[in-house]
Amino acid sequence: MHPLPPRTPEEVFPYPEISNEELEEINQFVGPVEKFFSEEVDSKKIDQDAKIPPETLKGLKNLGLFGMQIPEEYGGLGLSNTMYARLGEIISLDGSVAVTLAAHQAIGLKGILIAGTDEQKAKYLPKLASGEHIAAFCLTEPGSGSDAASIQTRATMSEDGKSFLLNGSKIWISNGGLADIFTVFARTEIVDNDGAKKDKITAFIVERAFGGVTNGKPEDKLGIRGSNTCEVHFENTKVPVENVIGEVGGGFKVAMNILNSGRFSMGSASAGMIKKLIEMTAEYACTRKQFNKKLSDFGLIQEKFTLMAVKAYVMESMAYLTAGMMDRPGVPDCSVEAAMVKVFSSEGAWICVSEALQVLGGLGYMKDYPYERYLRDSRVLLIFEGTNEILRMYIALTGMQYAGRILTGKIKEMKKGNVGVALEIFVNKFRDSMGRKVDLGLVGKDGVAHPSLEESSKKLEENIYYFGTTVEGLLRRFGKTIVDEQLVLKRVADVSINLYAMTAAISRASRSISIGLRNHDHEVLLTNIFCTEAYFKNNYAMAELEKYAAENLDDSIKKVAQQVLEKRAYICSHPLERTF
Amino acid sequence: MNGVRNLLRARELSAGRGVLRQALLGRDRPWLQGSSCAQSFWLVPVRSIRSSAALSHSELVHSARGDKEKDRGFRDGSLVPFDELFERAHEGDRNKAAFSRAVELFCQRDVRRRGHIEFINAALRKMPEFGVERDLDVYNKILDVFPKEVFVPRNFIQRMFNHYPRQQECGIHVLEQMENYGIMPNKQTKFLLLQIFGEKSHPIRKYQRLLYWFPKFKHINPYPVPAALPQDPVDLARISLQRIAADLSAKVTVYQLPLTDISDAGKEITQLHIVGIQSPDQQELLARHNPSRPVFVEGPFPLWLKKTCVYYYVLRGEPLPPEEKEEVIDSERNFYYPMHLDLDLDRDLWDDEEFYVDEVVEGPIFAMCMAGAGDQATLAKWILGLQQTNPILSQTPVVFHLTPGPRELQAASDSESGEEEIPQSWHMKQEL
Repeated sequence: MHPLPPRTPEEVFPYPEISNEELEEINQFVGPVEKFFSEEVDSKKIDQDAKIPPETLKGLKNLGLFGMQIPEEYGGLGLSNTMYARLGEIISLDGSVAVTLAAHQAIGLKGILIAGTDEQKAKYLPKLASGEHIAAFCLTEPGSGSDAASIQTRATMSEDGKSFLLNGSKIWISNGGLADIFTVFARTEIVDNDGAKKDKITAFIVERAFGGVTNGKPEDKLGIRGSNTCEVHFENTKVPVENVIGEVGGGFKVAMNILNSGRFSMGSASAGMIKKLIEMTAEYACTRKQFNKKLSDFGLIQEKFTLMAVKAYVMESMAYLTAGMMDRPGVPDCSVEAAMVKVFSSEGAWICVSEALQVLGGLGYMKDYPYERYLRDSRVLLIFEGTNEILRMYIALTGMQYAGRILTGKIKEMKKGNVGVALEIFVNKFRDSMGRKVDLGLVGKDGVAHPSLEESSKKLEENIYYFGTTVEGLLRRFGKTIVDEQLVLKRVADVSINLYAMTAAISRASRSISIGLRNHDHEVLLTNIFCTEAYFKNNYAMAELEKYAAENLDDSIKKVAQQVLEKRAYICSHPLERTF
Repeated sequence: MNGVRNLLRARELSAGRGVLRQALLGRDRPWLQGSSCAQSFWLVPVRSIRSSAALSHSELVHSARGDKEKDRGFRDGSLVPFDELFERAHEGDRNKAAFSRAVELFCQRDVRRRGHIEFINAALRKMPEFGVERDLDVYNKILDVFPKEVFVPRNFIQRMFNHYPRQQECGIHVLEQMENYGIMPNKQTKFLLLQIFGEKSHPIRKYQRLLYWFPKFKHINPYPVPAALPQDPVDLARISLQRIAADLSAKVTVYQLPLTDISDAGKEITQLHIVGIQSPDQQELLARHNPSRPVFVEGPFPLWLKKTCVYYYVLRGEPLPPEEKEEVIDSERNFYYPMHLDLDLDRDLWDDEEFYVDEVVEGPIFAMCMAGAGDQATLAKWILGLQQTNPILSQTPVVFHLTPGPRELQAASDSESGEEEIPQSWHMKQEL
């Protein structure tokens, strides 16, 4: 099928649904939470004071929002991924609150939830679910942000072997000042099977009560100012051996799992925020008149609304598709899809908030209106939970790994000079250049996509096929050294993200038409717009990836970058300079 | 006598026609064998509720069943025995419990459910009276009346030849009534239908069609009328005016609330409601209106919302003749870019997508209202209220073009003078 960890049509079509009972249940949650957020959360005040008032925190605890994914036997709400994403839509109305809650449950206590033993769960989860204790995730250090494996915090085993002594400091820890339970990653010395001593990362549950845990003052940030971010220092903190999450030396896997499982909710959170923005901005655009015409009559303004609507639709589709796949029993891990959702949503949110602010013009720039706060809050979406650059590498390389395994045999044969294989490849290339018709089962008599979306589905199929051949070509050219070719990998990642987005949008639109949801014709329009744009961008990216492509500017880019960075400055002569 | 009795009993049984079919297919019913069986099969018409009941009439005394309680429905002398069952079942008000009790009574009466088709048809007829026509549980209960697994075809001949057609039709009637009231069947319904008729039967096909089309049609109305309309006339007027205006920035103002007052002299003064709507665009249009031209109040126009009809009145002006239309664009209107290019080029013929066919030049509509009564006095109060936000109305002549509304006609026919309302003109100039 296609070279990414493959999703056969059966996994993504039909769009995942939840039963009527679950839908009613989640709607019952949605009402009170919405009411709380619209009435009792004063986002402006939180932003100004850079603090979340204790009454707000108490209200959140009462609503049970501190334990959304904790199973009910430990006192949490036990929500599935889909329901968590749904609530995330409402919580995202205030960025600081959303980040505090996410830092607490999506990463802070996720470690205990997915890799903890039953004793650990029974000991810590009840208090965490009620919100009595707040959790934080401590991985980043001054010297290691994205480079998480280079952390210097050390945990040495004590003489009696019953506890570890933790030494080190972590920075930019969300909830650092409020938290009582920390998931800390530190280096431990472990003895390998062959007796060699190695340093591996281990995850620990550290309570503030263990002593030696101090935190610095809250950082003054650009956005999400209400969230408490500070340094946390550990000085000879005694951590009992029972508090190791997973096994000693297994911290890498725990960290990977934690980080990969929380990402998809950013899609629905951003979508919720953009939907709210569309409402507010449209209200303004339809009432304000300039040149005797309403703002909403001007084409440039209409384009902005369309952009927001399309992005919100695609973000929602991707987020709920990923959540649905993760909820389905037996589906392998969806970390690549979650990463794609995160990249697309964070960039989409940033662009859409910027455009919404632009519609309001000067008013959007004023602090009286919430747009500038949304803009500052959404800037961090591109940075935390894995920077977008890192995630693009992750998406591209995981795909390459998978594709490589399948294609290695074939490529090696060709390189050895096997005439048969070479001929086959040549013939394929020839047929491709003649315009091959691709059929992956999306359209046609038994197609899974609705006939109204035939054109978009055809574009998707074409893109998938050509992406496959492109990846094959890249692997042949670069082999395993593709790890260093970031500009190439960036394009591969962009195409994959667009493909996944197109799939999600087509799947959701098909379902809408088939069951007759309200305004499904609007959804078809949005899908077609998005697919046409994405098709064009994908084709351009894949054209750039051809060898000796005229559009490929990578070499020039690298040369310019090298010259600028050599001198660490802008090196052109000033335009007013003279030679004689 | 014996032959007549056999004939009549056979007709009774054929009311539950399945029994007869089973006889035809060779089941063990010794008293049905013989010529009377064949004769009665041909003699009995398709819908013979009344004839069978009327005939069973004469069998009153000789009825084989001893239980008087059960048989009162057959004996009371009514033409339709099952309606009687429903009449009896409701001691007190007609509600779901009473209806369910009636259905249960029938089911308990006979394990073979003789006469179930007539009963089901009677039940379907009675549902609106009992107010349960939109209740899915009741429909499932009615479907439960069918004997199970009897009508499921067992071999290819039965499958070919429309097995138990009357029962299938009856099943379809139940589903059809559900469809008419817009009720979506659920899994229980499907389970029942499968048990009763088997797969690939007509009722199951109808059920599948319901499940296919109903979701597609549920949200097909872009402007749905809410199922429960408010009773309060002011709220009703508000909703319907917003529906007509279809503009989110239009504002609804209540100029007068309905109230009944007893003045000092002891007379009753009743005030009827006046609710008006105007959007900012309409306000601007009115502000630019030339005060020497009159504006017209026209009405009442009917608006139907499901089964309610409300009437609204419109304040409109005449379309301006082409000479008076203002179209000059000031060249200094925009600081940044020219709004008007000084070129002699017009829009290309192939790019001109303006639509000419249905364009009818209509005058501007400035406001709308709904009032309790359509007489000039009430509407004058509305104009007075409008003058608060549109001061130009005080200088504009207002002409009332009122057609007699339904209430005026009724009142006119009641009152002795019986005068007809003819379009009157009334100039109104007031200085505020």
